[in-house]
Amino acid sequence: MKLGSRPLLLLLGTTIVLVALASDRGEQARGETVAMAAPQTPMQPALTPSPASGTGQVNGAAEARLIEIYRLTGAGYTREALERAESLVRDHPNFQLAQLVYGDLLTTQARPVRDFGDVPAALAGGSAGNTLSDLRHESQMRIKALRERPPVGAIPSQFLALSPRNRHAIAIDASRSRLYLFENTPQQLKLVADFYISVGKSGIEKMVEGDARTPLGVYFIISNLDPKSLSDFYGSGALPINYPNVLDSKRGKTGRGIWLHGTPPNQFSRAPLASDGCVVLSNPDLAFLSRTVEIRTTPVVISPRLEWVAPHSVQAERKPFEDALGAWRSAKSRGDLDQLLSFYTPDFKSYDKSLAEWVPALRSEVDKARGKPIQLKDLSYLRWTDATDTMVVTFGEVADGERSGPTKRQYWVRQGSEWKIFFEGIIG
Amino acid sequence: MKLGRAHSSTLLLVRLLALAISLTLGAAHANDYSDVAQLLREGKLAEAQTRVDRHLAAQPRDPQMRLFKGVIQRESGRPADAIATFKRLSEDHPELPEPYNNLAVIHAAQGQYDKARIALEKALRTNPSYATAHENLADVYARLASQAYSKALQLDGVPQPGPARLTLIRELSPAPASPARPVLAAAPSTAASKPVVPAQAKPAVVAAAPAPTKPAAATAAVPAPSATPPQPAAADSSNREVELAVRAWARAWTDKNMTQYLAAYDKSFETPGQQSRSAWEQDRRLRITGKSRISVNLLELQITVKGNRAVAKFRQDYKADALAVLSRKTLELVRTGDRWLIVKESSGG
Repeated sequence: MKLGSRPLLLLLGTTIVLVALASDRGEQARGETVAMAAPQTPMQPALTPSPASGTGQVNGAAEARLIEIYRLTGAGYTREALERAESLVRDHPNFQLAQLVYGDLLTTQARPVRDFGDVPAALAGGSAGNTLSDLRHESQMRIKALRERPPVGAIPSQFLALSPRNRHAIAIDASRSRLYLFENTPQQLKLVADFYISVGKSGIEKMVEGDARTPLGVYFIISNLDPKSLSDFYGSGALPINYPNVLDSKRGKTGRGIWLHGTPPNQFSRAPLASDGCVVLSNPDLAFLSRTVEIRTTPVVISPRLEWVAPHSVQAERKPFEDALGAWRSAKSRGDLDQLLSFYTPDFKSYDKSLAEWVPALRSEVDKARGKPIQLKDLSYLRWTDATDTMVVTFGEVADGERSGPTKRQYWVRQGSEWKIFFEGIIG
Repeated sequence: MKLGRAHSSTLLLVRLLALAISLTLGAAHANDYSDVAQLLREGKLAEAQTRVDRHLAAQPRDPQMRLFKGVIQRESGRPADAIATFKRLSEDHPELPEPYNNLAVIHAAQGQYDKARIALEKALRTNPSYATAHENLADVYARLASQAYSKALQLDGVPQPGPARLTLIRELSPAPASPARPVLAAAPSTAASKPVVPAQAKPAVVAAAPAPTKPAAATAAVPAPSATPPQPAAADSSNREVELAVRAWARAWTDKNMTQYLAAYDKSFETPGQQSRSAWEQDRRLRITGKSRISVNLLELQITVKGNRAVAKFRQDYKADALAVLSRKTLELVRTGDRWLIVKESSGG
């Protein structure tokens, strides 16, 4: 399924053109400027609203106000846009992009504005020039994410199966500088909000420590740090993720301390490429996220570009893997060690143990179970496809007659048409 | 981002002109002027045109009537004729800002912003005070923009340019030619033929009121169709002061600025129904601040001054939320120090 191309705002060259977003035109306050406006291109009727753009909600509210200013500007309501911009920068003086737009709107009162962010040359020299490009980039990314809305009801292709314990899920699309937050309801995985984010100064695909890149992959939130314990730099809090994960370590990737965190006091938001590898959200957005997500169970998928699929199309994709997983469970239930070992790759690891070192533990586990069937409770699996095809699987392994069992995570790799396990271990 | 400059310039112009509005008209033709203005307000274009044609047949050079003619042409969907009328008028009276402004309105409606801009710049040049205020305001906006940009780029440590040096006006410019101005203000609203601007149409329409007196200076600026002898300068300036006070009162009402609104009333103001002053003030507060939007326009304002007392009669075009009432109103004012304050307010008559 392709991304729904709902045109909200088009940033075409230097002209912001509004296509559709207006709600009630009758209520719009009009500046006297309108009396002089050229005949306007009639606005297209608003299309079906895409889910949870953040507009109109408490979270993402500042962005929604900024976009409304763009809309008013594009529609020729310069005077009204100026008033809104004034109010936005009064509420968020550290929102640099809003200040830039406010500056442009003030400039229109004195002279024509030639370009978005028409800063006089005297102010835009040196590093200020870079800041200006960053702000233009931020503006483009915010508009892009609002223009290219996920189709209604669609989910990122990585979320093959979530368990009821995964009450929320996060997917990050680096190509749109956007974080999407989902709530896992019994009926569906529901998009509840999405936020502008910044990634590493050098972009994405972290390889080594210090490369200032943000990792790509399937991660989980492992902690929720109290902002009081952090320096101002991290703003309203931090949510560390488990980089490097098993796949990263297998590939020799290094580095640590990858967090989702807020912004320092002097910046409402940061440039699209700004961090040392962390994912940065505005403080209100991060605070909302901190209140919402769960440690250990909330997955965080960081993708160069999310692919959105209809939930029912995932069903078909799940089948081959579910068959493999079912065969593994059945071998383990029967206590058939030879059969069981055929599921593990030669380079298998369980933390620091090689396959040879780990097999005795598996053998004693199987002997102890005496052929008692096992059930996989709260099963979830997320697929990560790049050069290889990986499944990150989490479940509670519960023997029949038992009330509980250890929570295990496995990493499976697809080899041709077969799925094999290259990591298995008990987690938290 | 491409933002219309023409829009804001016009807005500015209209505001500046509104500030400078002088409503005095020659008594001899006051009826013709106010009748045509009234017909225009009511949208009776054909009747208005008949009156204008008749008047122009007798006095073909009358600038106010020629301006009306252009407005009627514009309103009747004949922009090319209107352009020709305004152009000729601007050639005969290059000192009048109104024909230029109205040309700009038509050009802008046709999307010809370059032409609109040139016309507006000419309009501003007719009165150096407008031009200076306009330039000063542009400078202030530029400084504000600079501050916002500095915050956007976080240029905290960078030295800012020194404070803006605005131009001081040392001398009063001659009182602008009067008769045309009311229609000038009406004209921009006629450009608002789009369905989106009904609310804006009215405030721009400033009364074409026949005033009993006429400032001496205006006679010099415009071939005066007036038979009224010039009034003493003192009475004239009192008239102006009273007019400003009345307009400030209407403005405060529109803005729901209760401090200024209540300050327009003298201590001795006769509260209706023999209310106490504080009860009346409380009542006005509730009534005014409870509205989401108010507009008060004064039509056909007439002022008579006798010593320290003045009477202002006008038609009050009051709109508040869904309510719209056009009524006659009389304010009696008294001079208190350097201010004119309301001592009596009555409706009807």
